[in-house]
Amino acid sequence: RYVRQLQRLQLLFSPTAADARGARQFVEEAAQDFARQHPDVVLYVSPRSGPGPAPVLRAEYLNGTVREELIASKTSEEIVQLATKLANQSGLDIIRIRKPFHTDNPSIQGQWHPLTNKPSILTIQGPHLQPQ
Amino acid sequence: MVVLSAARWVRSRLSDRFWRVQEVLKYARHFRGRKNRCYKLAVRSVRRAFVRSTKARKEKKRFLRALWITRIEAASLEHGLKYPAFISNLVKSQVELNRKVLADLAIYEPKTFKSLAALAQRRRQEGFLAALGDGNEPEGIFSRIVHHH
Repeated sequence: RYVRQLQRLQLLFSPTAADARGARQFVEEAAQDFARQHPDVVLYVSPRSGPGPAPVLRAEYLNGTVREELIASKTSEEIVQLATKLANQSGLDIIRIRKPFHTDNPSIQGQWHPLTNKPSILTIQGPHLQPQ
Repeated sequence: MVVLSAARWVRSRLSDRFWRVQEVLKYARHFRGRKNRCYKLAVRSVRRAFVRSTKARKEKKRFLRALWITRIEAASLEHGLKYPAFISNLVKSQVELNRKVLADLAIYEPKTFKSLAALAQRRRQEGFLAALGDGNEPEGIFSRIVHHH
Protein backbone atom coordinates (compact mmCIF):
# COMPACT_ATOMS: atom_id res chain seq x y z
CA ARG A 1 0.00 0.00 0.00
CA TYR A 2 1.36 3.43 -0.91
CA VAL A 3 2.50 5.62 2.00
CA ARG A 4 3.10 9.24 1.06
CA GLN A 5 6.57 10.28 2.17
CA LEU A 6 5.67 13.95 2.56
CA GLN A 7 4.66 14.69 6.13
CA ARG A 8 3.88 18.39 6.18
CA LEU A 9 4.07 21.46 3.98
CA GLN A 10 4.68 24.78 5.68
CA LEU A 11 3.85 27.91 3.71
CA LEU A 12 5.85 30.77 5.27
CA PHE A 13 5.16 34.17 3.77
CA SER A 14 4.52 37.75 4.74
CA PRO A 15 1.00 39.10 4.13
CA THR A 16 2.29 42.48 2.96
CA ALA A 17 5.38 41.69 0.88
CA ALA A 18 5.09 42.18 -2.87
CA ASP A 19 6.79 38.97 -3.92
CA ALA A 20 4.41 36.88 -1.78
CA ARG A 21 1.45 37.77 -3.99
CA GLY A 22 1.41 34.32 -5.58
CA ALA A 23 1.55 32.70 -2.16
CA ARG A 24 -1.43 34.78 -0.97
CA GLN A 25 -3.41 33.88 -4.11
CA PHE A 26 -2.53 30.23 -3.60
CA VAL A 27 -3.81 30.37 -0.02
CA GLU A 28 -7.03 32.06 -1.09
CA GLU A 29 -7.82 29.88 -4.09
CA ALA A 30 -5.97 26.62 -4.43
CA ALA A 31 -4.79 25.65 -0.96
CA GLN A 32 -8.08 24.02 0.06
CA ASP A 33 -8.30 21.98 -3.15
CA PHE A 34 -4.71 20.88 -2.72
CA ALA A 35 -5.34 19.86 0.88
CA ARG A 36 -8.41 17.86 -0.16
CA GLN A 37 -6.58 16.11 -2.97
CA HIS A 38 -3.70 15.15 -0.65
CA PRO A 39 -5.40 14.07 2.59
CA ASP A 40 -2.26 12.53 4.12
CA VAL A 41 -0.24 15.75 3.88
CA VAL A 42 -0.70 18.41 6.56
CA LEU A 43 -0.65 21.93 5.16
CA TYR A 44 0.38 24.70 7.55
CA VAL A 45 -0.09 28.32 6.52
CA SER A 46 1.94 30.63 8.74
CA PRO A 47 2.00 34.31 7.75
CA ARG A 48 4.89 36.14 9.36
CA SER A 49 4.39 39.78 10.08
CA GLY A 50 6.62 42.63 8.96
CA PRO A 51 9.35 42.65 6.33
CA GLY A 52 11.06 39.28 6.67
CA PRO A 53 12.91 36.77 4.54
CA ALA A 54 11.61 35.65 1.14
CA PRO A 55 8.42 33.53 1.02
CA VAL A 56 9.26 29.86 1.22
CA LEU A 57 7.50 26.50 0.93
CA ARG A 58 9.04 24.08 3.43
CA ALA A 59 8.48 20.34 2.92
CA GLU A 60 9.24 17.83 5.68
CA TYR A 61 9.49 14.15 4.88
CA LEU A 62 9.13 10.98 6.91
CA ASN A 63 12.88 10.32 6.96
CA GLY A 64 13.55 13.77 8.43
CA THR A 65 14.79 15.73 5.40
CA VAL A 66 13.52 19.29 5.20
CA ARG A 67 13.41 20.86 1.75
CA GLU A 68 12.78 24.57 1.27
CA GLU A 69 11.70 26.02 -2.07
CA LEU A 70 11.47 29.73 -2.77
CA ILE A 71 8.07 30.86 -3.99
CA ALA A 72 8.89 34.55 -4.39
CA SER A 73 7.31 36.04 -7.51
CA LYS A 74 5.63 32.82 -8.55
CA THR A 75 2.06 32.53 -9.72
CA SER A 76 -0.52 30.45 -7.92
CA GLU A 77 -0.45 27.74 -10.61
CA GLU A 78 3.32 27.44 -10.35
CA ILE A 79 3.05 27.04 -6.58
CA VAL A 80 0.44 24.29 -7.06
CA GLN A 81 2.79 22.48 -9.46
CA LEU A 82 5.67 22.86 -7.04
CA ALA A 83 3.60 21.53 -4.17
CA THR A 84 2.47 18.48 -6.16
CA LYS A 85 6.09 17.83 -7.17
CA LEU A 86 7.17 17.93 -3.52
CA ALA A 87 4.25 15.73 -2.54
CA ASN A 88 5.26 13.05 -5.03
CA GLN A 89 8.92 13.01 -3.96
CA SER A 90 10.45 10.90 -1.24
CA GLY A 91 12.81 12.48 1.24
CA LEU A 92 15.99 10.90 -0.15
CA ASP A 93 18.83 13.28 -1.07
CA ILE A 94 18.89 14.35 -4.66
CA ILE A 95 22.37 13.23 -5.61
CA ARG A 96 23.78 10.91 -8.23
CA ILE A 97 22.96 7.28 -7.40
CA ARG A 98 26.13 5.31 -7.89
CA LYS A 99 24.47 1.96 -8.58
CA PRO A 100 20.84 1.25 -9.49
CA PHE A 101 20.89 -1.84 -7.27
CA HIS A 102 21.75 -2.68 -3.67
CA THR A 103 21.81 -5.90 -1.68
CA ASP A 104 22.49 -6.58 1.97
CA ASN A 105 23.46 -10.18 1.18
CA PRO A 106 25.45 -10.15 -2.04
CA SER A 107 26.88 -13.63 -1.57
CA ILE A 108 24.85 -16.78 -0.97
CA GLN A 109 27.51 -19.43 -1.50
CA GLY A 110 30.13 -17.49 0.43
CA GLN A 111 32.33 -14.78 -1.02
CA TRP A 112 35.50 -15.88 -2.78
CA HIS A 113 38.68 -15.78 -0.71
CA PRO A 114 42.09 -17.06 -1.79
CA LEU A 115 41.50 -20.41 -0.12
CA THR A 116 38.12 -21.29 -1.68
CA ASN A 117 39.48 -23.34 -4.56
CA LYS A 118 42.53 -24.73 -2.82
CA PRO A 119 42.66 -28.22 -1.26
CA SER A 120 41.23 -28.12 2.24
CA ILE A 121 44.45 -29.48 3.75
CA LEU A 122 45.73 -25.88 3.66
CA THR A 123 43.02 -24.59 5.96
CA ILE A 124 43.50 -27.14 8.68
CA GLN A 125 45.09 -25.69 11.78
CA GLY A 126 46.24 -28.02 14.42
CA PRO A 127 49.09 -30.26 15.46
CA HIS A 128 51.23 -31.15 12.46
CA LEU A 129 49.87 -34.22 10.68
CA GLN A 130 52.61 -36.73 10.04
CA PRO A 131 53.00 -37.55 6.34
CA GLN A 132 51.99 -41.19 5.80
CA MET B 1 10.99 67.06 -12.31
CA VAL B 2 9.60 63.70 -13.38
CA VAL B 3 12.26 61.19 -14.34
CA LEU B 4 10.79 58.44 -16.47
CA SER B 5 14.00 56.64 -17.36
CA ALA B 6 17.27 56.18 -15.47
CA ALA B 7 20.07 58.48 -16.40
CA ARG B 8 22.21 56.83 -19.01
CA TRP B 9 25.55 57.58 -17.40
CA VAL B 10 24.66 55.59 -14.23
CA ARG B 11 25.71 51.95 -14.54
CA SER B 12 24.61 49.29 -12.06
CA ARG B 13 27.28 47.42 -10.14
CA LEU B 14 27.38 43.65 -9.74
CA SER B 15 26.05 42.59 -6.34
CA ASP B 16 26.16 38.76 -6.43
CA ARG B 17 29.74 38.27 -7.59
CA PHE B 18 30.40 36.10 -4.52
CA TRP B 19 27.77 33.54 -5.47
CA ARG B 20 28.82 33.46 -9.12
CA VAL B 21 32.37 32.70 -8.01
CA GLN B 22 31.21 30.07 -5.52
CA GLU B 23 29.26 28.26 -8.25
CA VAL B 24 32.57 27.50 -9.94
CA LEU B 25 34.70 27.01 -6.84
CA LYS B 26 32.36 24.42 -5.35
CA TYR B 27 33.44 22.00 -8.09
CA ALA B 28 37.12 22.72 -7.44
CA ARG B 29 37.23 22.19 -3.68
CA HIS B 30 38.91 18.79 -3.86
CA PHE B 31 41.67 19.91 -6.25
CA ARG B 32 45.31 20.25 -5.35
CA GLY B 33 47.16 23.51 -5.03
CA ARG B 34 45.96 27.03 -5.69
CA LYS B 35 43.34 25.97 -8.19
CA ASN B 36 41.03 24.99 -5.34
CA ARG B 37 41.06 28.56 -3.97
CA CYS B 38 41.81 31.04 -6.74
CA TYR B 39 38.97 31.69 -9.18
CA LYS B 40 41.12 32.44 -12.23
CA LEU B 41 42.98 29.14 -11.97
CA ALA B 42 39.88 27.25 -10.87
CA VAL B 43 37.84 28.22 -13.92
CA ARG B 44 40.33 26.58 -16.26
CA SER B 45 40.71 23.48 -14.08
CA VAL B 46 36.98 23.00 -13.60
CA ARG B 47 36.32 23.30 -17.31
CA ARG B 48 39.01 20.72 -18.10
CA ALA B 49 37.65 18.43 -15.39
CA PHE B 50 34.17 18.56 -16.92
CA VAL B 51 35.48 17.89 -20.42
CA ARG B 52 37.50 14.96 -19.13
CA SER B 53 34.52 13.53 -17.26
CA THR B 54 32.32 13.60 -20.38
CA LYS B 55 35.02 12.00 -22.50
CA ALA B 56 35.71 9.36 -19.85
CA ARG B 57 32.20 7.93 -20.05
CA LYS B 58 33.14 6.00 -23.20
CA GLU B 59 36.39 4.83 -21.70
CA LYS B 60 34.69 3.70 -18.49
CA LYS B 61 32.84 1.05 -20.48
CA ARG B 62 36.07 -0.19 -22.01
CA PHE B 63 37.85 -0.13 -18.66
CA LEU B 64 35.14 -2.06 -16.84
CA ARG B 65 34.99 -4.69 -19.57
CA ALA B 66 38.75 -5.19 -19.35
CA LEU B 67 38.43 -5.50 -15.56
CA TRP B 68 35.74 -8.16 -15.87
CA ILE B 69 37.81 -10.08 -18.40
CA THR B 70 40.82 -10.03 -16.07
CA ARG B 71 38.74 -11.34 -13.20
CA ILE B 72 37.10 -14.10 -15.27
CA GLU B 73 40.51 -15.10 -16.57
CA ALA B 74 41.89 -15.38 -13.05
CA ALA B 75 38.89 -17.37 -11.84
CA SER B 76 38.87 -19.78 -14.77
CA LEU B 77 42.63 -20.36 -14.44
CA GLU B 78 41.95 -21.50 -10.87
CA HIS B 79 39.75 -24.19 -12.39
CA GLY B 80 42.28 -25.09 -15.07
CA LEU B 81 40.76 -23.31 -18.06
CA LYS B 82 42.09 -20.42 -20.07
CA TYR B 83 39.83 -17.43 -20.77
CA PRO B 84 39.34 -17.89 -24.55
CA ALA B 85 38.51 -21.58 -24.07
CA PHE B 86 36.09 -20.77 -21.23
CA ILE B 87 34.20 -18.05 -23.08
CA SER B 88 34.05 -19.82 -26.44
CA ASN B 89 32.82 -23.07 -24.91
CA LEU B 90 30.19 -21.25 -22.84
CA VAL B 91 28.92 -19.56 -25.99
CA LYS B 92 28.83 -22.87 -27.83
CA SER B 93 26.79 -24.37 -24.98
CA GLN B 94 24.27 -21.54 -25.44
CA VAL B 95 25.00 -20.01 -22.03
CA GLU B 96 24.46 -16.33 -22.81
CA LEU B 97 26.00 -14.79 -19.71
CA ASN B 98 27.84 -11.52 -20.18
CA ARG B 99 31.20 -10.75 -18.66
CA LYS B 100 29.78 -8.54 -15.93
CA VAL B 101 27.59 -11.34 -14.59
CA LEU B 102 30.37 -13.91 -14.93
CA ALA B 103 32.74 -11.71 -12.94
CA ASP B 104 30.12 -11.19 -10.21
CA LEU B 105 29.49 -14.94 -10.06
CA ALA B 106 33.20 -15.61 -9.80
CA ILE B 107 33.41 -13.30 -6.79
CA TYR B 108 30.20 -13.96 -4.91
CA GLU B 109 29.16 -17.45 -6.08
CA PRO B 110 32.34 -19.50 -6.50
CA LYS B 111 30.55 -22.86 -6.64
CA THR B 112 28.33 -21.71 -9.52
CA PHE B 113 31.41 -20.50 -11.33
CA LYS B 114 33.09 -23.85 -10.75
CA SER B 115 30.12 -25.63 -12.33
CA LEU B 116 30.22 -23.24 -15.30
CA ALA B 117 33.93 -23.97 -15.73
CA ALA B 118 33.18 -27.69 -15.61
CA LEU B 119 30.47 -27.22 -18.24
CA ALA B 120 32.88 -25.36 -20.51
CA GLN B 121 35.52 -28.05 -20.00
CA ARG B 122 33.07 -30.84 -20.88
CA ARG B 123 31.91 -29.00 -24.02
CA ARG B 124 35.55 -28.55 -24.97
CA GLN B 125 36.22 -32.26 -24.69
CA GLU B 126 33.12 -33.03 -26.75
CA GLY B 127 34.30 -30.57 -29.36
CA PHE B 128 37.67 -32.32 -29.56
CA LEU B 129 35.98 -35.71 -29.87
CA ALA B 130 33.69 -34.49 -32.63
CA ALA B 131 36.60 -32.98 -34.53
CA LEU B 132 39.16 -35.76 -34.05
CA GLY B 133 37.01 -38.85 -33.44
CA ASP B 134 35.93 -39.32 -37.08
CA GLY B 135 32.21 -39.70 -36.48
CA ASN B 136 32.12 -43.12 -34.74
CA GLU B 137 31.37 -41.80 -31.25
CA PRO B 138 27.87 -40.66 -30.26
CA GLU B 139 27.18 -36.94 -30.41
CA GLY B 140 28.05 -34.96 -27.32
CA ILE B 141 25.27 -34.15 -24.85
CA PHE B 142 26.22 -30.57 -24.19
CA SER B 143 26.84 -29.96 -27.90
CA ARG B 144 23.14 -30.21 -28.65
CA ILE B 145 21.63 -26.88 -29.68
CA VAL B 146 18.20 -25.88 -28.43
CA HIS B 147 16.17 -23.83 -30.92
CA HIS B 148 13.77 -21.31 -29.38
CA HIS B 149 11.07 -20.21 -31.80
